[in-house]
Amino acid sequence: MIRTEEMLLNVGPQHPSTHGVFRLVVKIDGEIIKEATPVIGYLHRGTEKLAEDLQYTQIIPYTDRLDYLAAMTNNYVLCHAVETMMGIEIPERAEYLRVIVMELGRVASHLVWWGTYLLDIGATSPFLYAFREREMIINMLNELSGARLTFNYMRVGGVKWDAPEGWIEKVRDFIPYMREQLKGYHQLVTGNEIFLNRVKGIGAYTKEDAINFSLSGANLRCTGVKWDLRKNEPYSIYDRFDFDVPIRNDGDAWSRYHCRMEEIVESLKILEQAVEQFPQEGPILARVPKIIKAPKGEAFVRIESPRGEIGCYIASDGKKEPYRLKFRRPSFYNLQILPKLLKGENMANLIAILGAIDIVLGEVDG
Amino acid sequence: MLGLMKGLGYTMKNLTRKKVTYDYPNKPLPLPDRFRGIQKFYPEKCIVCNQCVNICPTDCIQLTGKKHPDPAKKGKIIDTYDINFEICILCDLCTEVCPTEAIIMTNNFELAEYSRDELFKNLEWLDENDDNIRKENKA
Amino acid sequence: MIEELLRSSPGLLNFAIFFLLAVLLLFVVLGFVTFGILSERKVMGFMQMRIGPNQVGGRWGLLQTVADVLKLLIKEDTIPKAADRPLYIIAPVIAFAPSFVVLATMPFTDKLQFADIGVGLLYYIAVSGITTVGVVTAGWASNNKYALLGGMRAAAQMISYEIPLVMSVVGIILLTGSLNLNEIVAAQEDIWFIVLQPVAFIVFMIASVAELNRVPFDLPEAESELVAGYHVEYSGFRWAMFMLSEYVYMFAMAALTTILFLGGWHPLPFLGFIPAAVWFALKFSIVIYFLIWIRVTLPRLRADQLMEFGWKVLLPVALANIFVTALLKEIFSLL
Repeated sequence: MIRTEEMLLNVGPQHPSTHGVFRLVVKIDGEIIKEATPVIGYLHRGTEKLAEDLQYTQIIPYTDRLDYLAAMTNNYVLCHAVETMMGIEIPERAEYLRVIVMELGRVASHLVWWGTYLLDIGATSPFLYAFREREMIINMLNELSGARLTFNYMRVGGVKWDAPEGWIEKVRDFIPYMREQLKGYHQLVTGNEIFLNRVKGIGAYTKEDAINFSLSGANLRCTGVKWDLRKNEPYSIYDRFDFDVPIRNDGDAWSRYHCRMEEIVESLKILEQAVEQFPQEGPILARVPKIIKAPKGEAFVRIESPRGEIGCYIASDGKKEPYRLKFRRPSFYNLQILPKLLKGENMANLIAILGAIDIVLGEVDG
Repeated sequence: MLGLMKGLGYTMKNLTRKKVTYDYPNKPLPLPDRFRGIQKFYPEKCIVCNQCVNICPTDCIQLTGKKHPDPAKKGKIIDTYDINFEICILCDLCTEVCPTEAIIMTNNFELAEYSRDELFKNLEWLDENDDNIRKENKA
Repeated sequence: MIEELLRSSPGLLNFAIFFLLAVLLLFVVLGFVTFGILSERKVMGFMQMRIGPNQVGGRWGLLQTVADVLKLLIKEDTIPKAADRPLYIIAPVIAFAPSFVVLATMPFTDKLQFADIGVGLLYYIAVSGITTVGVVTAGWASNNKYALLGGMRAAAQMISYEIPLVMSVVGIILLTGSLNLNEIVAAQEDIWFIVLQPVAFIVFMIASVAELNRVPFDLPEAESELVAGYHVEYSGFRWAMFMLSEYVYMFAMAALTTILFLGGWHPLPFLGFIPAAVWFALKFSIVIYFLIWIRVTLPRLRADQLMEFGWKVLLPVALANIFVTALLKEIFSLL
């Protein structure tokens, strides 16, 4: 009689494909996963608690460090929450700048996801191709905000910098270039039979599961739920743009891949329109008091980040610091379905499933 | 098989395309003017208003002022000014609030040191850090 | 000359000559490994819009690999406390030695060969199988879960791909009527076997990439899943031995592919004035380039799909190829 033994394997916190410091304790029988327990918190910095001692302007650099692949959306959600509480009207030009940088960030974030996901699957080149395009976006954002990753660009009431000369033209030139490169990406990866076999039908869940686990973003849309806050609850000036919300119906890694790739196309569409409508003149900062004090009360706003719904809840007692600040961080919520997906899966699928969820550990741990 | 072939074609095409890597550190990185690097400090411009200390999100700035040596003049002048680059996140808020532009950003970003103590920069060091100064400081 | 030496009675002089020749070959192979790795990194770099090594040894990074090996030599040799010491130490040797031994039967040109034995092809395949033992030993002796998983994967993969590899060359053996590598090359004087046996060539290429543990079949050392697979605990020179064996196998496998399918040292028509050794090197380089090219492009297969592919696709195709070859050979011999 052959006796088999279950084995406890620590995947991470120093594992090449956990995308940061994420630990997964898996119980495996051979290569079959019996149970998986995620352990998080290695990157916890206590952003929410720190914020209670900081003025609203001071919190903005901290939000850069949550989802560091799309810091602009995090900047925006905080500013948006404060602006909602104070009832500030944002100047037109600032709104357009915000939308442009957020959509550029979305494209850059999805590019990183695409590259790293394929790196997880075992292909090395897509990563470098994706970073070639991302570098151009990062350079543009650097030129605008003065930093490559932690932008600290938005302020309550507008943005810090106006677009430098020729910047809008650079964005305009980037759009057709990116479309051209996307064709190459599909040529390299999308039709690849090995890749298809790795992702088709992997990590599938139903619409009900997705909603019950409070998933959002591409993780929700891959099950056929047409839910995108840019369309369903338009914030900023998203109601002025014409774009689609890509959905798929299978709920597997392959659907998520398609949702994200098509979101890049939709983001480029938004960018194209935003650049076209960009106002020539105008202020970039609304008239706001020098020291920002949110009125007594509370507010919750949510927007669509590349990873899903990012929300910001502020409770204020009228001081210049928030009484309580909470971020609904989409990666954290999206990660919760992982143990359920991994049960009974092959070890090799672990990476394919984890990668397809698209987590950023800075955001998971807060 | 067709998908594999297409992929092979794509990588082959890239073999001869222009390379995108930078020759850093042999050539300095091209950085835009707005790039936020290590601060430069002008002691003569500082009016010891403490705004930079108050706005700093990580509390990395420490300063002390002293009375103006010329008794005819009012106000204070700067005595010591330290930035701890172990915790400074180069967020640009100190330069944003400074009313006299006494502290501004430069494009220098190379901060590697052999000891943590050397990351504690004082007034003299910040005063001497005067190349690649940012031209555009207020939006 | 070597044939005469082999047949003469054993003695110290014979031993010395063979030893010196073997050392010479070792240096040739090491030279190949050095520049093979460099060219791999360069080609990968160029395909990925990078430059690749360009610091050590001039603009082309010619000494990069040398520097890397030197670094590995002076690194600390770590042995995990709970490892099975004797096995842990001997595993790299078991893995490396066969990779060099198989080179003995390779006819690089009609004159340049060490041992012209009757069952050259079988010898290659039989001896190369021993490396698997080394890999499994390493995985087991490391006392590491990732290493164990990598070792098990390596064992499963190498055994299941050895079979289609052998089956694919049976067609050639049928056509030549010999297992001798010299005779196989001689039989390709007029027409290369890649034309006569295209199906066998495809099966052989796929199986050989799998045998080499290279992308897309690099599961035993899949970085993103198993960190480094069976050699996760190895460092310094022991680790270098595994890498070396991998690249020597690459050398051997590319040479074997050239001999079996690309006509060995035979020139293309009207280009006979180019020396045989150059022809061999040229064809050999093309095979190496192809291996690198595949590595740049493709993602990795999944362990279970790999097994399915080996047993359910490659093996039946190879068997069918044998059947058809035998049938056609009979028909043609009747005509």
